[in-house]
Amino acid sequence: MPPTESKATAQQPDDHADLLAEIEASLGEGKLPLQTFNSEAVHQLELDRLFGREWIFVGHESEIPEEGDYARRYIAGDPFIFVRDMNGDVQVLFDSCRHRGAKLCRAEQGNTSHFRCPYHGWTYKNTGDLVGVPQKEVAFKNLDQSEHGLHSAPRVDSYAGLVFASLGDSGESLEEHLGEFTWYLDIQFKLPDGGMEVIGEPHRWVVETNWKTGADNFAGDSYHTGFAHHSIKQLGLGGDDTVGIAGAGETKDRHVHCDGHTTSTRMVEGEEVFMTYPDEIVDLFNPDNVTADQYRAAKEALSFTGSVFPNLAFLNFGDITDDPNKDVTGFLGLRKWRPLGPNKTEIWSWAFAPKRASEATKKRIYKVYMSNFGPSGNFEQDDVSIWNGITDVADSTFARHHDVELNYQMGTEEMSEVAYDEEWPGPGTVYAINLEEVGMQKFHDQWFEHLSTPRDGTAMSRECGGGCGSAKTDGCGSAKTDGCGSVKTGGYGSTKTDDGESPSERGRPEDGE
Amino acid sequence: MATNTDRESELDRFLLKQRVERFLYEEAALLDRREQTEWLALLDEDVEYKAPLRITREHVNDNFSRSAYYFDEDYGSLEARVQRFESEYAWSERPPSRTRRFVTNVRATERDDGTVDARSYLLLYYGQGDSSSYTFLAGRREDVLRPNGETFTIAKRHVYLDHAVPKIDKISVFL
Ligand code: FES
Ligand SMILES: [Fe+2]
Repeated sequence: MPPTESKATAQQPDDHADLLAEIEASLGEGKLPLQTFNSEAVHQLELDRLFGREWIFVGHESEIPEEGDYARRYIAGDPFIFVRDMNGDVQVLFDSCRHRGAKLCRAEQGNTSHFRCPYHGWTYKNTGDLVGVPQKEVAFKNLDQSEHGLHSAPRVDSYAGLVFASLGDSGESLEEHLGEFTWYLDIQFKLPDGGMEVIGEPHRWVVETNWKTGADNFAGDSYHTGFAHHSIKQLGLGGDDTVGIAGAGETKDRHVHCDGHTTSTRMVEGEEVFMTYPDEIVDLFNPDNVTADQYRAAKEALSFTGSVFPNLAFLNFGDITDDPNKDVTGFLGLRKWRPLGPNKTEIWSWAFAPKRASEATKKRIYKVYMSNFGPSGNFEQDDVSIWNGITDVADSTFARHHDVELNYQMGTEEMSEVAYDEEWPGPGTVYAINLEEVGMQKFHDQWFEHLSTPRDGTAMSRECGGGCGSAKTDGCGSAKTDGCGSVKTGGYGSTKTDDGESPSERGRPEDGE
Repeated sequence: MATNTDRESELDRFLLKQRVERFLYEEAALLDRREQTEWLALLDEDVEYKAPLRITREHVNDNFSRSAYYFDEDYGSLEARVQRFESEYAWSERPPSRTRRFVTNVRATERDDGTVDARSYLLLYYGQGDSSSYTFLAGRREDVLRPNGETFTIAKRHVYLDHAVPKIDKISVFL
């Protein structure tokens, strides 16, 4: 369990102040102290001040399609039950009995109308309502059951089927948090008629890596692809433009920073590429589901990789296969870096396909995903073995005492000729090359802002780094506020909190935009 | 009292088990010696090689995904993996991992079509580099073997790992 704020500061007041000052000085130069990638103090601050209030991805609605479907999910160390209740609403319930705390959810997933506590038998509906207390008349005759439903995550909301929860009572709404980055999420999640769905269950595995290294990698590390994944190219498992050296191919390569999130893309101008999905999938891509600009971006795209602050990432790689003698396909992978400690991360990785794709095509997409990502993936194997080394050296005495810093200066004015794409149709600051690490710097800046703001302090805000003016999001449905912490499907749902404060009082619009 | 026929069929089963064990042990030795190309030669062209994800359910102790896998391979994708491990850029196996496969609890039965159902347990020690840390992977395997003279080829292998959430950096070995 993360220590409370007062406890943490009481124990090591100077630790925090010194460390934060050191980080701040580093950040100013586009650097970061190596030790932040394996530090217990940083980890505790992250649990409290970052994962303790930011919007964290919980799951996709297609994982719990039927009433009663549930799956065990976590926000950092905290266990929640992600469940579609009897009313069809999605709930994110804290998995701890209101009597004396026992965990109710004993499986990874399942279907149930009720959760029954194994300790003394208190029973809750899948809405979280307490409906059964054994021997109530004798044991708990004055207990107000309506006051003892399961706690919900303080704020729950969704976008395009992606359900997020926040352990903070206040702060930005999910809509504000995602900002205009939804322009890019729409391309991944809204393009096909019928929407996207998760195939099978997510890969989960525990690696000896600090979670921020994964986040860095997906925040625009096109630089590593041609080298770390060179074996993919050698074997002909991935095309030159997908796994070749960054900035050296024929493609139009772009890095986008938008409202705190990032995406990298490789495009073939004027061509119909659609991430090299088979025709069956391309036929499902409907221009009416997105704007004309988004549709054109999807059409020309060979690949998309992106990162949603703080610990969600996605990739849609084209021209990739499991076997050089078989057809390539695109696939959408979504991943979450769940911190379990300063040097331990549970990686969650989901594969998606359009819901209306044929079973055979879904299988093919899954196979290409799994051959390249997940613990056995030909790409992913190589990443994690390299990342572990960073975590390892970050815990060194040398790094702590000699101010060893990591360099993220690629793409800054000092290091490179920086060019921006002013013609780009989407929102954000758009680099006309995919050789830059400024997106990672922006990630670190936000991360630092969280770490240096006490949990009860000012709400986290975000400023858009210029150019975020032309979004054409169409996904913000109306907010509905019935049911504690529940989400009505299809857009920004309700965020009613335990104390009954309405979403509008939290400073978020009642009806989307 | 056992009849001669009983004894003969008991002997047949014993000899079959012997042959299957010998095959599985040799296969494990090939992989542990990293003779992966030679290992490929033990697989049939139409081989089906799968390792589904284990999913924890409340009332079932041995439950596996029907659509999510660590491996869902055919000959071509296995061959690509083997060739990749030979690349000096396959960082997951640089330096190569040290493995030891302990194959036990072998049971073999002949099927009507002449192929053999071979079930075994696998415990795989997995270490790498100059680190003192190591991992074990445990699971059971259900193979279908095709007789090939005195030995066999692998027509099908399904691996059911015991791990719900493996604590492992990557699975860069064959099971
Ligand atoms: S702890 Fe759940 S019923 Fe007592
Ligand atoms: Fe990578």
